Amino acid sequence: MPWRNLPEEIAHHLQDLYDDLRARGATDDEARRAVADELEDATFGARPMADLRGDLRYAFRTLRKHPGFAVVVMLTLALGIGANAAIFSVVNAVVLRPLPYDRDGRLVAVWGNLHKPGLEEIPGSAAEFVDYKTRNRVFDAMAAYDTIGVNLTGSAQPERVPGAVTTASLFSMLGESAALGRTFIAADEQPGRNHVAIISHGLWRRRFAGDPDVVGRTMTVDGTNVEIVGVMRAGFPFPGEEAELWQPLAFGAEDVAEDQRGSHSYTIIGRLKPGVTVSQASAEMKALGEQMGAEHRGTYRSGFSASVRPLHDELVGNVGPALFVLLASVGVVLVIACANVANLLLARAAARQKEMAIRAALGAGRMRIVRQLLTESVLLGLCGGALGLLLAMWGVPGLVALAPASIPRLNEIGVDGRVVVLTSIVSMFTGVLFGLVPALHASKHDVHETLKDGARSTSDSGARGRVRRALVVSEIALSLVLLIAAGLLINSFARVQDVAPGFRADHVLTARLALPASKYTTLEQAQRFAGELFARLAASHSVVAAGAINAVPFSGRGGDRSFFIERRPVAPGEPSPDEQVRFATAGYFAAMQIPILRGREFTDRDVDTAPHVAVVNDAFARKYWPKEDAIGKRVQFQQETTNRYEIIGIAGNVKHRALDVTEKPELYVPIFQPLFEGFRMPAIDLIVRTAGDPASFAPALRETIAALDPDQPISDVRTLDERIGQSLASRRFDMLLLGLFAALALVLAAVGIYGVVAYTVTERTHEIGVRLALGARPRDVLAMLVGQGMRLAVAGAAIGIGLAVTLTRAMSGLLFGVSATDPATFAAITGVLALVALVACYVPARRATGVNPVTALRSE
Amino acid sequence: MQHIKPAMLDRELKKGSAELLILSLVEDQPRHGYDLSKLIEARSGGVLKFRVASLYPLLYRLEKRGWIQGRWIEKAGRRRRRYYRLTPAGEQVLKSQRNTWREFADAINRVAGVEPA
Repeated sequence: MPWRNLPEEIAHHLQDLYDDLRARGATDDEARRAVADELEDATFGARPMADLRGDLRYAFRTLRKHPGFAVVVMLTLALGIGANAAIFSVVNAVVLRPLPYDRDGRLVAVWGNLHKPGLEEIPGSAAEFVDYKTRNRVFDAMAAYDTIGVNLTGSAQPERVPGAVTTASLFSMLGESAALGRTFIAADEQPGRNHVAIISHGLWRRRFAGDPDVVGRTMTVDGTNVEIVGVMRAGFPFPGEEAELWQPLAFGAEDVAEDQRGSHSYTIIGRLKPGVTVSQASAEMKALGEQMGAEHRGTYRSGFSASVRPLHDELVGNVGPALFVLLASVGVVLVIACANVANLLLARAAARQKEMAIRAALGAGRMRIVRQLLTESVLLGLCGGALGLLLAMWGVPGLVALAPASIPRLNEIGVDGRVVVLTSIVSMFTGVLFGLVPALHASKHDVHETLKDGARSTSDSGARGRVRRALVVSEIALSLVLLIAAGLLINSFARVQDVAPGFRADHVLTARLALPASKYTTLEQAQRFAGELFARLAASHSVVAAGAINAVPFSGRGGDRSFFIERRPVAPGEPSPDEQVRFATAGYFAAMQIPILRGREFTDRDVDTAPHVAVVNDAFARKYWPKEDAIGKRVQFQQETTNRYEIIGIAGNVKHRALDVTEKPELYVPIFQPLFEGFRMPAIDLIVRTAGDPASFAPALRETIAALDPDQPISDVRTLDERIGQSLASRRFDMLLLGLFAALALVLAAVGIYGVVAYTVTERTHEIGVRLALGARPRDVLAMLVGQGMRLAVAGAAIGIGLAVTLTRAMSGLLFGVSATDPATFAAITGVLALVALVACYVPARRATGVNPVTALRSE
Repeated sequence: MQHIKPAMLDRELKKGSAELLILSLVEDQPRHGYDLSKLIEARSGGVLKFRVASLYPLLYRLEKRGWIQGRWIEKAGRRRRRYYRLTPAGEQVLKSQRNTWREFADAINRVAGVEPA
């Protein structure tokens, strides 16, 4: 292309003109003016830049001429922007987007407050719900519901499914109608007329083969026949995505009676009247609650009040911190990517100096040139952003697959319009961010100086070099912060994984078993079933041991109960002690391999007719009998009762909810020694320690149970190892992502430092040649260049460590067993960074020592 | 004949004549851009003056059409320069353009009644 010759030819032309005029006796000033006149009405330089389209066309052409440069820049940006788009799409779906059933954010949860520690935010009772509903002035609708699990029997294989009992108002509050049939009506809430159910789309397809006439058919739920009145749309996610069946909540007279006012088992939600704010509703409900507290002093001994919280916060409240740490870290990755690209542009600016000078000479103002260069960088930013968006679309499904189930609304995550818009804005902004400094630098030229200098490209000016070095130093500092954050998470993860749970998790299969009250009406019936089941399991040669408990560790189940210690009366108005209480079968501790520190564990003889006994864990014993032996002491669950449980054993502490939580005091009671009259066996987790692979025992377990009762399903079938793994899922997720981003940052920083050293080598080839010719040893040259690069690394590391000390504190909630300023992590990570920086300096510096002095000098 | 607007005619005329000028000047020896601009100005007595902004685009256009060819030439102690020489194709074009121009000028003269120079 002849156009390529334009800058040089015009430069020569102008120089010739100047020289001619001088030769003919013109003064320097006159000659310069004549040169300027020559350019005065030269419009062709400005014409292609006259408008944005021209700028764009020019930018495209420039980039097409340097495809390598363009590709490197776009890929760098695509990684940075793509990571941001991916994480933002998660934050957007999980945290920012309104709930699909609460678009205008008017739904709130109503919590009661008993003014006792740990009881400041509790669900409501039926009586409270009725009070709230009839007396408030801030809600236009209210609903109460409770999550349940039910056994489905009848035609197909027995199955246990999660669901909810709810007041009829729920569906209309959520703005949902049934896909088939209807949702609940007020008549369904009448006791005796509540044998109806709504099923989920999934259950309809699975159990009824999508029968369009399913409405009106009956199904057996927990042994009772109910009529199907409706099918919800696919994906109806309330109370949770897993809900498959809804039954009406029918409050009878006994449910709202005074003695049941204290049984707080329902989640209560309300929809604010239009125009009512959350704080107004909170104030109203607080006053109403206090009023109720005053009216029912017998139930609310320490007083009562109520509060409201938006349902959205309720659902996503606790995932925020980790997600925002991730969002901040991808932001940092993007900044590093920008610094890298800015560096590339600065290097290129040196090569384009001539072009800029000619532009300026042809009358383009400085802003004109800055605009042209910014058009180029914004174009690069947008191309990088488009690639990044593709990257995000491709990566988000992977991210979702990796995400722990504890993150709500996972199925809503995707690249939507908002993500695209934000990514575009970020891309443009990115273009300006990395383009502005180089553009300002490139446009700052003394036209005559540059033009006079002839064809050879001029060297990196002092100021530009300083900017380049500053950029690299900040890249290193930022990537060190990310690396340290990732290091701390990795360190925490390793430590959490090393925590002993207090039992042996390998070779154990667990499964949920809930005997329906309609069929197993008494404790004895359940006891016979369990006795037979354990006898059959014991006979199987693949079973090493078996037992059961109402809440196996790492199931997320379990609850506390208040109790009394014999001869330690609780003064009126004082709260009674309250701890985790579990109901276990004989052989539970053996099956779990929880050590019995003293005394014995439960046996088959610990039944109702035998003296009632209990096992406590070490934490419990130390808390209540710090200086005495707990064995032989007795506890009871009502103040006035003769039903006392004598402690006969002390078991080791076990981690119950997660490995990184300290063990709580636990009190174990034999499941067949009833706490009170009419006590039924609660739903239990079966624990089967197997000789071989525990997961492969699941079918045998199902068959064994089916042989005893073909209508009895099991659910939540998982090995203990799986359960522990799932409890680590969110930690693993955070660690993997932050690790990935930190690695990305490290690579970018390494490329940055490599770039600076490589550029220096190119710049100084001549000087290096001279040095070598004058007898410098290659080693000295190498040391000089590496030293120069490493000085930047050291400066960056120092700043990075300073930043990290301040910033990692923000993530101390995500750490375990290491402090946010753990010196070992800081040292190790800094070492890794130094090593990478050294390699990044060494590789280009090594090349310099290969410079042939003769060639280098001849090139001058 | 197609109707031509005056402005267009003027532009075509100038462009045509400019091409003719360049081609004529490189006919007997290769010249560089500055040389060409000086020659045009000098030989026209200052009436015709090409500024860089129009000269080089014109040169590149002619080169692109294959009528002239530019080559960088370095001479000892001098800046290297790009010299343009006429190609065989350019010679043909020059010949035909000269004829056209002559016919055109004659026609104008005859109509306008200007005495032949």
